[in-house]
Amino acid sequence: MKLARMLVVCAVAAVPAAMAQRWEFGGGAGGGFYTSQDVSAPSGSAAAKIQSNVAAGVWLANNGRGRWGGEARYDYQRGALQLSSGGTQAAFGAETHALHYDILWHAAPSGARVRPFVAAGAGVKVYRGTGAEVVFQPLSNFALLTKARDLTALVSVGGGVKMQLTSHLQLRMDLHDYLTSFPMQVIAPNVGSKVGGWLHDFVPMVGLSYTSTPGE
Amino acid sequence: MLPKSWMLAITGALALAGAALAGSFGLVVPIGGSAADLALDEARGVLYVANFTANRIEVVSLKTNRVQTSINVSAQPGSISLSPDGRWLLVAHFGNNAAPASPTNGLTLIDLTNNNAKQAFALGNPPLGVAFGYDKKALVVTTQEYILFDPVLGTTQVLNTVANVTANTLPVKAATPPTSITTSSIAVSSDYLHAFGIGSSSTTFTFRYDVATHTVSPGGIVLASGIFGPRVVSLNQDGSLGQAGWVMVDLAGNFINLFPQVSNQFSVGTSVFDNKRGLMYAHMPTTAGEAPTLQILDSDNLTLRERLNLPENTTGKSVLTRDASVMYSVSDSGVLVLPIGNLNAAPRLTASAESLVFRGNFCDRKTASQTLFITDPGGGRTPFSIRASAPGISVSPSSGVTPAQVTVTVDPNVFSSQKGTSVVNLTLNSGAAVNVPPPVRVLVNVQEPDQRGTFIDIPGVLVDVLADPARNRYYVLRQDKNLVLVYDSTNNTQIGSMRTYNVPTSLAMTLDNRNLLVGHTKSHTIAVFDLETLQPQPYISSEADNGNVVHSIAVSTNRILASSVDYQGKGHILNVDPVLRNSTQLATLGVYENAVDPDTVVTTSSNASKVMAASADGTVWLYDANVDSFTVSRQDLKSLGGAYAASAFDLFVVGNTLLDSSLVPVAQFESGTGSSSGFAFVDLGGIRTTAPNASSAGIIQHVDLSSASGIRPTRMVEAPLLNTTLGPEKPSVFTRTLAPLPSRNFLVALTTSGITVLPWNYDASVAPPKISGIASAADGKSPVAPGGLVSIFGSQLSPVNMASSEIPIPTALGNSCLTVNGQPTPIIFVSAAQINAQMPRQAIGNVTMTVHTPGGVSDNFNLTVVPNAPAIFLSGQAGSATGLATVVREENSLLVTDSNPVHRRDTLVIYLTGLGTTSPSVGDGMPAPSDPLAQALTMPVVALGDITLPVLYAGLAPGQVGVYQINATVPTNAPQGLGIPLTITQGDWTQTVNVRVVQ
Repeated sequence: MKLARMLVVCAVAAVPAAMAQRWEFGGGAGGGFYTSQDVSAPSGSAAAKIQSNVAAGVWLANNGRGRWGGEARYDYQRGALQLSSGGTQAAFGAETHALHYDILWHAAPSGARVRPFVAAGAGVKVYRGTGAEVVFQPLSNFALLTKARDLTALVSVGGGVKMQLTSHLQLRMDLHDYLTSFPMQVIAPNVGSKVGGWLHDFVPMVGLSYTSTPGE
Repeated sequence: MLPKSWMLAITGALALAGAALAGSFGLVVPIGGSAADLALDEARGVLYVANFTANRIEVVSLKTNRVQTSINVSAQPGSISLSPDGRWLLVAHFGNNAAPASPTNGLTLIDLTNNNAKQAFALGNPPLGVAFGYDKKALVVTTQEYILFDPVLGTTQVLNTVANVTANTLPVKAATPPTSITTSSIAVSSDYLHAFGIGSSSTTFTFRYDVATHTVSPGGIVLASGIFGPRVVSLNQDGSLGQAGWVMVDLAGNFINLFPQVSNQFSVGTSVFDNKRGLMYAHMPTTAGEAPTLQILDSDNLTLRERLNLPENTTGKSVLTRDASVMYSVSDSGVLVLPIGNLNAAPRLTASAESLVFRGNFCDRKTASQTLFITDPGGGRTPFSIRASAPGISVSPSSGVTPAQVTVTVDPNVFSSQKGTSVVNLTLNSGAAVNVPPPVRVLVNVQEPDQRGTFIDIPGVLVDVLADPARNRYYVLRQDKNLVLVYDSTNNTQIGSMRTYNVPTSLAMTLDNRNLLVGHTKSHTIAVFDLETLQPQPYISSEADNGNVVHSIAVSTNRILASSVDYQGKGHILNVDPVLRNSTQLATLGVYENAVDPDTVVTTSSNASKVMAASADGTVWLYDANVDSFTVSRQDLKSLGGAYAASAFDLFVVGNTLLDSSLVPVAQFESGTGSSSGFAFVDLGGIRTTAPNASSAGIIQHVDLSSASGIRPTRMVEAPLLNTTLGPEKPSVFTRTLAPLPSRNFLVALTTSGITVLPWNYDASVAPPKISGIASAADGKSPVAPGGLVSIFGSQLSPVNMASSEIPIPTALGNSCLTVNGQPTPIIFVSAAQINAQMPRQAIGNVTMTVHTPGGVSDNFNLTVVPNAPAIFLSGQAGSATGLATVVREENSLLVTDSNPVHRRDTLVIYLTGLGTTSPSVGDGMPAPSDPLAQALTMPVVALGDITLPVLYAGLAPGQVGVYQINATVPTNAPQGLGIPLTITQGDWTQTVNVRVVQ
């Protein structure tokens, strides 16, 4: 229910942008690259992260006549949960769903053929452990990779460039860093282990957008 | 071609119709004459039958199984063949009339696509058979030549000649069937690439015909005289195996399998390969005039699977439909129709066990019962009766209708004078069943505390035992199933088996301990197995140009020698060449003739430098590997028999006689303990086994070889085998039944029930057992409840480590037994420090337990048995973690661990013991039923933290003894986290284990 409520809030936030009539709708694909966090235990430590894998997203943007704009995005990423220590590795199937709203500032005015931009925003991210559980998982003394769900707050920063291909079609290249707190339900520290901090998820993506106004 | 459903309906009806004829299988189709051959035309839905005496080809409908029409042909159609395209039916006429009548030998070619138009072709010699190949040309075999016949052109071409064959002439004496006149048969492989045949009553010859090259070659069998019957051949799918009469030959012409005990009549019997199922169907009477039965055998080694009663004798060739659903055989009345693909529609009987074992013990002299299930493999309702062959055993009910459960009850007191194992057969009979069910063996053992060893039930005919010095294994040769059984010598459990050829007799290992050699008396081969992989290797032929079969094998440092019997029944010593994979009959045995008694065995010393041969007629030989020759032959005794062995210190034993390095008898062992069975040299001494008869207690004793005196003779749990066989019709006087294991932890002996395992120090004095504690077997600390599994801790509780897998659980194991308030208790496992057992149902409150061993009886151990004491088994394992609670998630059937945590909404299956009495009640040592389930009378309460879990089932786990299970679901408000307490509460006792719970 918590997830559903968040989705509704984000959708409502996107409504004003959609109402502004100069809108853009698009989708893209790329990859997700996570940083890791150390899970420390009395016996040592293990690096915990999400494995790099494919990412895909869709967005609905409202661009003003000036340089400012805003967009609501949904991003899906595959990528197994991973623990590694001393040459031993454990992995467990997983996926993430992120929903957020970003404010965009374009370096070129509306109507320019090439418009670099920077973006920042916030939203939520859901981590889902989807692997097959087994009776023994390596490195389980550090953390347990779990078939569970984790809902975390998300901060998004990034940028990119939009290139007008036709009157209504844009090519977009983005790079985002999605920051979340460590998902402790799906990578659950075992008794005596500790983990914390932020996970960075760098997501480069290439996509196409349809713009309602020619040359926007 | 008939629709398959029609065929099934018809064949099913046929099977039942056959059953109605007093329990016989199949339908007789009379043809009003004598059938000589048949050919199946499935495309037209007919079977052609050559009616030899009525000069007709009968056309039998496959749908109605009646003669629908007849094709009149010339006199004496003796062999027929259908071309692969179904156009031509070729008929060979055996018209070898004696003067003054003229011969009418010839062929008739019938064009089945042209209104059965006929063409006649004359032959100069009597035709023995015809067979079409895939090239639509036919091989015609006469007494003088092999002819290739082209039906399109009507031409003939002589491919080769036949020598030394004289055909019978007509007329013949009354009541002579066609196969006894033509004495020939040809079969074609189902790919039409190969033909195989046999011919003549003078010099019997076999041949192979390769259709692609039109070449004829010898078939591997040549017989100067005598009957070679039944005079029928059959080929497997690719022609690699052929069956002629009672001999199976391979492509190399080697006799790889022979039928034992064959009456050897020209015209009674049949055989046909079922390539689809890897079987052979054969009618091979053992004596003339016996009731006909169809044997269902494995086609690779002729292991008998089942026997079916036939309504009349088969008398020639058999063919199978392409889908192997129906078999047609030439028979007394014409044709037998046997729906072997729908055997389950015919009433049959089978018992749920080959053996029932009643282990009497010094704790238990009461009447004991076991359950036997009598079923029809096809699921039908077949009436039966069952009876025991000796008093002291009763069966109730003694008759009924399948499926049925009968109770076999044994009164051990009737057998108490034997002090060993008595074997009583239960015979199944039925007026309706078409099969011949094998008897069920009932083993009744009665033993005293001083008797040593534990027997393991191995049904069948066991003939040899051999320890593997390179592996923790020993091998037991089961002759009736053509199997080498492989046993793990650390726990005496069977870990594998290897399939031999027919009727294996003896085992030997190569010097490098890599290969096992197996001799046979119904195969001209020595089977070779790689002991690392347990896989068969190419066989070694023992043919040796004289049709030798092997009795025993000895491997020396110089040669591998085998005692053998040739086709004339004469004994020889063979030199076995494992490189060339063949054997040769040694020209001489040193200065002696190579002629030995047919019952001769060979054995090698442990250093492989000497081989002793011993014959039933009292003759002994010695082969010295150093000089590569036989250096001794003597006959100091009129007969020999029993155990035989050779030592590394130039001493030899045959029966009760000790021989020196020149094989001169130097001493006699005592004979008061019975006949010699097994002997093994160990270091500078020996161990021997003897018994007065098969149902007595055997004796095992060390012997002092300097004086031949016995040391501490000790009674065994049952008698060692006193005779072995070289096949169903041939007993042997020699026995090799004792195998000391190289690890020196056990001695293994072939005994009445199978094998008996004795501890190496079987004759050591044994201290009395002592009980120090008793607890639930689940966790080793919880209290015990009636019907639950318990562990008894102490010292000297058993002289051996042993686990039982018998059902019901025996009340004695490894010479230990246990009583609770004087009541014998089922035992699952014994060792010196621990016994695992099932607490009797009646044991509740304050009880007294005692352990009985050969060392004596323990002091009483008093304990309190509570009504309920749930205890989850801590026997789970995950990675390196052991002792995990046996709580299983139903979703993935895996043990609950931190990495396979409990989820909300999961169903958990908790395995435990100690839930107490159930409804219905289940007998001690008996497995729990599945319908109805045996539910606990007191329902346990299961909780995760403070949240109670709905319990779906609590009671005995079906099929298990003393093991209970609780099925419970996890509610959505169950607490989450690591180490959540899972609590089982029943009555006054609670047990808790910690589990991880997640969303």
